[in-house]
Amino acid sequence: MQYGMIIDLERCVGCHACTIACKAEWEVPVEFGRNWVKRLGPSKVGKELASTYYPGLCNHCAKPPCVDACPADPVEMTFKDAKTGKTTTKSVAATWKDPLNGTVQIDKSRCLGCGACAEACPYGARYVNPALIDDISSDGKADKCTYCMPRVEAGLTPACVQTCITNARIFGDLDDANSDVAKYVAKGAKGLEPKGDTIGPNSRYYGKKKDITLLFQDSTPELADLSSVKRRAMMASMVKPAMRQARDLGLLGLAGALLVKGLTEEKDDK
Amino acid sequence: MAFNLTRRKFLQTASLAAAAVPLSKVVSAETGVAKASLEPKGTMDDTTVVGGLCEMCFWRCQLVGKVRDGQLMKLEGNPKSIDNGVSLCARGNAGVKLLYDVDRLKYPLKNVGKRGEPVWKRISWKEALDECGSKLKAVVDQHGPQGICVFPHGASAKYPMHYFERTVGTHNVSEASFFQCRGIRDAAYVNTTGKAPGEFVDMANTKVIFLVGSHLGENIHVSHIKAYIKGLQNGAKLVVADPRYSAAAAKSDIWVQIKPGTDTAYLLAIMNYLVKNNKYDKDFVAKHTSGFDKFSEAISEWTLDKAAKECDIPAAQIKEVAELLAANAPNVAIHPGRFSSWYGNDFQRERSLACLTALLGAYYVKGGWAEPKNPKLGKTSWAAQEHGDKHNLNVSNGKKVHPYSPPGTPTELIRDCAISGKPYAIKGCVIWGQNPMQTVPNQEKMKQVFKAMDFIMCVDVMPTDATMWADILLPESSYLERHDEIKVGTGRIKADDKLPTQFIAPRMPMVKAMFERKDQVYITNEIAKRMGHEKDIPAQTLEDLVDKTLEAANITLASVKAEGGIHLQPGQSPYGVPDDFMVQLFNEEIAAAGFPGAPTYKSVEGVPAGYARLLFGRAPVHTFNRTQNNVWLNHEMPDNPVWLNDEVAAKLGVKEGDIVGFINSEGVKSRTTTSVKVTPGIRKDAVYMYHGFGSANPLLTEGVGKGVDDQSLITKIAIDPETGCSGMRNNFVKLTKDGKTLDIPA
Repeated sequence: MQYGMIIDLERCVGCHACTIACKAEWEVPVEFGRNWVKRLGPSKVGKELASTYYPGLCNHCAKPPCVDACPADPVEMTFKDAKTGKTTTKSVAATWKDPLNGTVQIDKSRCLGCGACAEACPYGARYVNPALIDDISSDGKADKCTYCMPRVEAGLTPACVQTCITNARIFGDLDDANSDVAKYVAKGAKGLEPKGDTIGPNSRYYGKKKDITLLFQDSTPELADLSSVKRRAMMASMVKPAMRQARDLGLLGLAGALLVKGLTEEKDDK
Repeated sequence: MAFNLTRRKFLQTASLAAAAVPLSKVVSAETGVAKASLEPKGTMDDTTVVGGLCEMCFWRCQLVGKVRDGQLMKLEGNPKSIDNGVSLCARGNAGVKLLYDVDRLKYPLKNVGKRGEPVWKRISWKEALDECGSKLKAVVDQHGPQGICVFPHGASAKYPMHYFERTVGTHNVSEASFFQCRGIRDAAYVNTTGKAPGEFVDMANTKVIFLVGSHLGENIHVSHIKAYIKGLQNGAKLVVADPRYSAAAAKSDIWVQIKPGTDTAYLLAIMNYLVKNNKYDKDFVAKHTSGFDKFSEAISEWTLDKAAKECDIPAAQIKEVAELLAANAPNVAIHPGRFSSWYGNDFQRERSLACLTALLGAYYVKGGWAEPKNPKLGKTSWAAQEHGDKHNLNVSNGKKVHPYSPPGTPTELIRDCAISGKPYAIKGCVIWGQNPMQTVPNQEKMKQVFKAMDFIMCVDVMPTDATMWADILLPESSYLERHDEIKVGTGRIKADDKLPTQFIAPRMPMVKAMFERKDQVYITNEIAKRMGHEKDIPAQTLEDLVDKTLEAANITLASVKAEGGIHLQPGQSPYGVPDDFMVQLFNEEIAAAGFPGAPTYKSVEGVPAGYARLLFGRAPVHTFNRTQNNVWLNHEMPDNPVWLNDEVAAKLGVKEGDIVGFINSEGVKSRTTTSVKVTPGIRKDAVYMYHGFGSANPLLTEGVGKGVDDQSLITKIAIDPETGCSGMRNNFVKLTKDGKTLDIPA
């Protein structure tokens, strides 16, 4: 199964309802967004005028560069299919691609807050929320669209899909040929691949030819500078091992965290 | 990335409970210490409060609140709604941030500084109400009730407006929604079809959607946009006349890039073509219109070629549009528009739209104009009283100055009287929910009005550029904290339902009002008591007022709440022309009043050399200036880039993103600057910006000074002669950049 979202630009009126509903649902800080809407044009597309929108969000990519960038120590994680009860175990860092539903998720309790994943994402779909801090990271935690998995698991649609005033956002399983999203893909809905690579974005766009041309012309992203991402990740993994150790000790709890923080701070104050 | 852990931050973290901005609070079972969770909870498990009715704009979508520990976390469309459904627009969703806006008015305030340069002092409600009551009573005692002028807007302003108009007895009420917005449309249709048209076009079921200068897709009214997109998805053709490649134009099949101000010529040519070529609905015209012969004679000069020249569009395109309409009649949606205060020749344009609909037989048919049969409610309010026309500024020597004025008195008549003192003195001003500094053109004139007053009181939710002029400023509870306004309408429970269902949705509070905010019934009644009108009070509380209004439908607030916040009942088909429905193609009464009896084009002032016409319109995430301070909406759209034609920009050497200011043809400069949006999607002789930016009130800490206040550049006022409404698009600007003034090339 691979969850995906279609954005039908024939229906979209660029109202930003999706963006604000998401902010409310997930208490996203004002200055960030798990999704966004940009008005494109009016510009010339060939001899025609075109104007449309770029409603963007995490693409829950087939090959997510953000996942590869995470420097957190891997742990074994067991995934359970809600329907069949089938389980799969996989070694994952603090962010991973779910082997069962295809979404890309973050374990904030293990996130180092280094921002490597945010830098690695060509779409700018991740941010580090500085308000989320713990004994592992005082820099904040990486955050992004989860395709509203907690809502979906509760039988609801993603917040952006629910509020969309024209049903321009359609959510479902791309692997199910009978789903609405798969039908859109069959009709030609496509994702915004970054220049020079294919990473399999699963948020896809459908619309009039000239509008899709304008969208791809204006909004095709560049790949991130992966060497810079790696440097950032490496720094984080070097600076924070003591913190992670303390976390692993677990039972040490508060006292342990205080101890480690005290040590770190001393170092920091120099 | 540096690992910055300061001592202070460390101590904060160590104390855990104080960690950063608390998100969802959780209590750890192990430690018993409240700790900020890293994962927001989502609103799925929050308490749902029903009965909300949005007023981020005035479409009034039905909503529910998600409340956690007494705090409103989120707003959603009410699942029971057959209007907006579970959808809300960006503004609707952002209501949470209006509710908790730190800049909101909290306590009654008195200006102890100069008028217009306020120094605010917090006072008690008793002191505030005593002062309002005594000062307004003094005005009435000295100058008569006509000495009070009222600028109301929004649901909460209706009750006090009725008080001042009906009980106190002043004619001098100017609603922006009429005199600076849709009043012309309503007046024109009422005097053509007998009905205010609303936006009752059946776009969902139409074959052609015909728009003239519409903001559809830029002004978001949820159920209306749903119908529009549904129609387009069903294959309706879209025809959009606009000087700009608007959001609607971008979805159109035919974009008519019309010269500003010439729309009526375009409409007359379409109608003349239909008549000359026998492509009009003869049956409808015979049964349901009057004055066809005089009408067709009057418009006969409007050949395709003549209009093409006047409107600066190809004759073939006008013909194409006319043929498309004729081929699909009567299932065509000729949209009456909404904001219609454009050029001062607008009554005639709106009359033309109403007549075109008739020629196409597109009234009360599927896909045409079809007024829904809405549920009936009571009209509890201050009792209507006759006050005569002696002090009605719109009556001069027994004759109406603007005979087709919407209800109230045309704004300019009030302002001229207030400034000159002739024919009488206006010395008291009540501003309730309106921001006349940014709705009424010519801000300097508005300031003169304020300066002429003995007393100004203002009631609002937020500070605005108008509240700066108050002597007493009162904080009102918002639409999320009070009962109020009842939305009625029709919809379909299931898409394929044969008949529509009626709904009644009275507003209910989502949370309790905080600080010392009060509702309009409390405030008005307390003032009425102090002005000697206690016996006239129609309702003691807002709930009481709403319940009395609901009586006619045999329901109560309590019963509707139990039904999930919306009452549903069987409806009737909107289709089928009533026997007595008549469209006056030529209106003898209008002719007798000295105006053209048939729709007539009057050209507007041309663009002076070196200038561009200033066009303005709506932004999808803002409701004028009202939402500019909303942190979520401000983040989405903090300012209003000016659209500049790409060829003009190249000649001026102006690039995308450059920062510019403006100077208008009367020498008025913009207070602030904005960025340039270079696009081929606008005519060379016009610039365009979103309306409602550039607030001057420093108490709007988020919105102040962001973008340019288009209203500040609208100083020339064109009055629509039939209605007395303001035309605001006859103002011309040059750009200023780096201290230089840039002439717009021809």
